[in-house]
Amino acid sequence: MKRSVSNALSLTVVTCIVLGVSLLLIAMVGSSIPSSLSSFIRGIVGSTYSIGEVLVRATPLMLAALGVSIGFRTGFINIGAEGQIYLGAIAITWLGMTFPSLPPILMIFFAILVGFLAGGVWSVIPGILKAKFGLSEIINTIMLNYIAINLVGILVRTSLKDPSYPYPMSPILPPASYFPMLLLPTRLHAGFLLALICAVLVYLLMFRSSTGFCMRAVGLNKRASMCSGISVKSHMVLSALLSGGLAGLAGVSEIAGLHHRLIEGISPSYGYLAIVVSLLGKNHPFWIILSSLGIAALQVGSMAMQRSSGVPTSIASIIMGLLVIMILARKQFFGYREV
Amino acid sequence: MAFLEMIDIDKAFFGKSANSKVNLYVDHGEIHALLGENGAGKTTLMNILYGIYQADGGSITLDGVLVQIKSPKDAINHKIGMVHQHFTLVPTLTVSENITLGLKSPGYPFVKRKQVDEEIRLLSERYNLAVDPTALVSSLSVGQQQRVEIIKVLYREAQLLILDEPTAVLTPQEVESLFDILKRLRAEGHSVIIITHHIAEVLSLTDRITVLRGGLKVGDVKTKETNEAELSQLMVGRRLNRMIRAKLPCTFDREGLSITAIQDAQESVGPISLEVPPGRIIGIAGVDGNGQKAFAELLLGIRKIKEGSLTLDGKNLEHLGVKQRRALGFGYISDDRLLDSLVLDMDMQENLLLTRYRGQECNHHHFIARKKLRELTEQAVKKYAIKSGSLEHPVRYLSGGNQQKLILARELAGNVKVVIACQPTRGLDVGSTEDVHKTLLELRSQGSSVILISSDLEEILDLSDNIAVMYRGTIVDVIEREGDVDLTYLGLLMAGSPARRNA
Repeated sequence: MKRSVSNALSLTVVTCIVLGVSLLLIAMVGSSIPSSLSSFIRGIVGSTYSIGEVLVRATPLMLAALGVSIGFRTGFINIGAEGQIYLGAIAITWLGMTFPSLPPILMIFFAILVGFLAGGVWSVIPGILKAKFGLSEIINTIMLNYIAINLVGILVRTSLKDPSYPYPMSPILPPASYFPMLLLPTRLHAGFLLALICAVLVYLLMFRSSTGFCMRAVGLNKRASMCSGISVKSHMVLSALLSGGLAGLAGVSEIAGLHHRLIEGISPSYGYLAIVVSLLGKNHPFWIILSSLGIAALQVGSMAMQRSSGVPTSIASIIMGLLVIMILARKQFFGYREV
Repeated sequence: MAFLEMIDIDKAFFGKSANSKVNLYVDHGEIHALLGENGAGKTTLMNILYGIYQADGGSITLDGVLVQIKSPKDAINHKIGMVHQHFTLVPTLTVSENITLGLKSPGYPFVKRKQVDEEIRLLSERYNLAVDPTALVSSLSVGQQQRVEIIKVLYREAQLLILDEPTAVLTPQEVESLFDILKRLRAEGHSVIIITHHIAEVLSLTDRITVLRGGLKVGDVKTKETNEAELSQLMVGRRLNRMIRAKLPCTFDREGLSITAIQDAQESVGPISLEVPPGRIIGIAGVDGNGQKAFAELLLGIRKIKEGSLTLDGKNLEHLGVKQRRALGFGYISDDRLLDSLVLDMDMQENLLLTRYRGQECNHHHFIARKKLRELTEQAVKKYAIKSGSLEHPVRYLSGGNQQKLILARELAGNVKVVIACQPTRGLDVGSTEDVHKTLLELRSQGSSVILISSDLEEILDLSDNIAVMYRGTIVDVIEREGDVDLTYLGLLMAGSPARRNA
């Protein structure tokens, strides 16, 4: 009772502070507050298209955050979702260009498979380095991000380049590799369903299966896990594989659902946002669905605000940073310290 | 007027009362015992006094002045110091660095370490706390580390010292010298509160005793005016029977556990050879830190066996991992339950699942059978009388004794063939200790091979069929338990004396 009251109170205070700072920032850039707010809200729920946009944005965030959460639960701090997204994107592009005549069902199946594996491999490398040699996965996953991003830069200028265009990008992939659209004329595609299915699968794996139990135990106390006969190393590597694999799927989904070709900057920091989404979602798949929708709405709404009221989208980033700090600090500020 | 008065202290965790209207009065220059079973609320009360928890109700006065203690820092300012059961030292720093940690020492930020060392030396000599200030903490024995903790508290000019289960980790000799130190402190005018459940210690050391049971104060007596029977009555609420160990004929036609010259890769222990037939308890006696833990880890497979062989009923085990050995019926009670045995942020059910997630009972096609797990947990809670608010609370919030009971429930369940019990009753109260001993004897009559590693000689003598003495990583002798044991000889072996039986 006491806890729930203080919980509600703290959330209210956080909301008020965030709202207050947002209004202050909007006023500072000299825009009208009512019209900014209304364009923000309309940008999110104003039309079917805008709702679709929120779901489209939430898709890669959700997939990558699910991956990040598996890592966090197992004690594998995966900061490399960004790079793993790019690897997934490279994989589906390579598949589409190499086997353009595959029928859609096989194409989609293999795209998901190679995308998952490519992202997984990118994460398993630091996973093995950590499990076997104790090297910091935090540093290594960040470094692999740089490598992955620049690898895409090289590939779209060389082997995956579209020869008919002067720009650094791949050719349009065969339609067999496209995800079905769900709600025309919006851009909502089946990747969103894929993300929801993955959330349920991650839940079953982490909270219902014995493998997930072992992974969580390893994340909370390696030594006790070892003394109980749980293999710390293999569960660590497995969690790295799944973690990167899900981020890889985010890359697949962006190409198969939206861009249909590989371009540079295909992920505007989705991999880093995924960490935020996962933290806000308490590393739990069902909360991650909510938090990815929330962050997506914030971004989509702020873009609408920029278009119609001239408020820069940077405000959204400021708000997001503030929100994360406040939510993480909430427990300490509101005294329900868990003894 | 008493020096410290804690009046009507209330504290509840998750709606379960840990302290209810508890009163405590401590005078100047008094050694005061806080006696009670595990989960009686002793540590909670002291954590309130030391500012780690906030009381839900009640007041604390020092020398008649009402004080608010909101953090350990406040407590230190009020000249209250606490030595925790689990020490809070940094192993990679020296004794004097540990003692001055967080303080502005003379010459700060360029600390005059020699001067500080000298001060600490003087302080430790004054109270007979022999410790070298320049030694690394990692090189000290447990008893010496405890002294460092006491000096640390005295260095902060504490008038009132709280010691949580100070004797739980000490050898008999170390306990003696600790008591001398405490008496010295009393003579210098300090007040001491010791949290304990050892009645004998309480009677020999303290001036007054406050007894807690189930979060309530059930007694406040002068040591001179009480006796062992009355205290145990107050504390347990029932009379205890001393256990009588029945002699068992060896009726099991298995070979049991056979250990031949095993050694680890770092050669920190071994070579060790030992026979542990079924239906036998082999006690491993020895002063702490003579390789007992490493020996236990070799047996379970946490450490790799580099040389030698280990067989159970003729089957070679030395190349098997922890998982396979457990599957063959190994149970392990570690002496470090927080690190080795429990996942503190998981609940009781999941902690029970740690060794069972593979078993048919709880694992249906790789999914956890949650209903069955819940049933098993409820059974364990009932069988071992584990006190807990709910099965879903993290085990972090269980008291030490209840945590240990949970581990027993997990490790000794089912068909265990080999039990490796490392200090299984350390930090447990009389009632729980009795339960543990009963369980071990029960396993023995069911034909388990039990290895009991303990620094509590009483326990070894009470339970063991044979007693092996460990010294510097090897077993120096195995004493058959026929009739009375030559305690002098045993003591000499433990001390590493080269004396032989007939010498």
